[in-house]
Amino acid sequence: MAGNNNIPSQVDKEQIFGMAEKEMEYRVELFNKLTHTCFNKCVEKRYKESELNMGENSCIDRCVSKYWQVTNLVGQLLGSNRPPV
Amino acid sequence: MSADSGAESTNGSSNSNEPQKPPIEPLRLPTIEEIRGQDIWNNCAVRSVVSGVMGGGLGLFMGLFLGALDNPIMQHEMTGRELFVYTAKQMGRRSWSSCKTFAVMGLIFSTAECVVEKARAKHDTTNTVVAGCVTGGALSAKAVYHVLRPATKGWHGSLALLEASSIFGSCHDLWTISVYHRKNHHGLQTENTYREGKMHHAL
Repeated sequence: MAGNNNIPSQVDKEQIFGMAEKEMEYRVELFNKLTHTCFNKCVEKRYKESELNMGENSCIDRCVSKYWQVTNLVGQLLGSNRPPV
Repeated sequence: MSADSGAESTNGSSNSNEPQKPPIEPLRLPTIEEIRGQDIWNNCAVRSVVSGVMGGGLGLFMGLFLGALDNPIMQHEMTGRELFVYTAKQMGRRSWSSCKTFAVMGLIFSTAECVVEKARAKHDTTNTVVAGCVTGGALSAKAVYHVLRPATKGWHGSLALLEASSIFGSCHDLWTISVYHRKNHHGLQTENTYREGKMHHAL
């Protein structure tokens, strides 16, 4: 019936909490890597002004979009084929 | 304890026994309104319209000033009032025509530069050079067309040749201007960046 898994036990709670923590760490790592990669790729080291100009803006847009697509694609490839090829 | 907190809260200028460190402010990420406000300048249409208006204003004043310097041919036969009217008409005519020219030039240049920079995703002087070529070609195309239209059959080839030469001339001029602009406003990218006072062009 419904009473089996409704109330998570203590072990389940810890498991869920651990998974959430791992997920959070993964997200934070993804964000940091994304910002660093796109910053190093798109912004010149000689800072000539403090505002982002249009070229850098579109470069960052494209960089983030591509990075996100690559992440999703690689995740799908890793997720679908369970035994590594 | 209360004395310490009081000193920190007032951010006092008086030096206590230890040096007062300025309180560290929390990191403030830009709000949506700020991002939108800065994003206005990333829009090609807005940028080109503003640039066109500025060019029009510049052309207006320049034409006004240069039109006032025109002297009529029959200067000594006109009365003072006639001279005044003539000069005023000249000033108005010239200021309006140069206003239109400069507005169109600013519009085309700004649009071309914006489009090229967005496509290349790089902030470079190549954007300025290509935009200058396009502007020069667009401005001189009309003049070349009016000059060559009554010509004979071979005017297609000579039109193309003149257009190409006008584009080349404007490219060269605008490349020079862009190098000057780059040197004075942005600082040239040189290899000897650690050596002061020795700047050379990167061709």
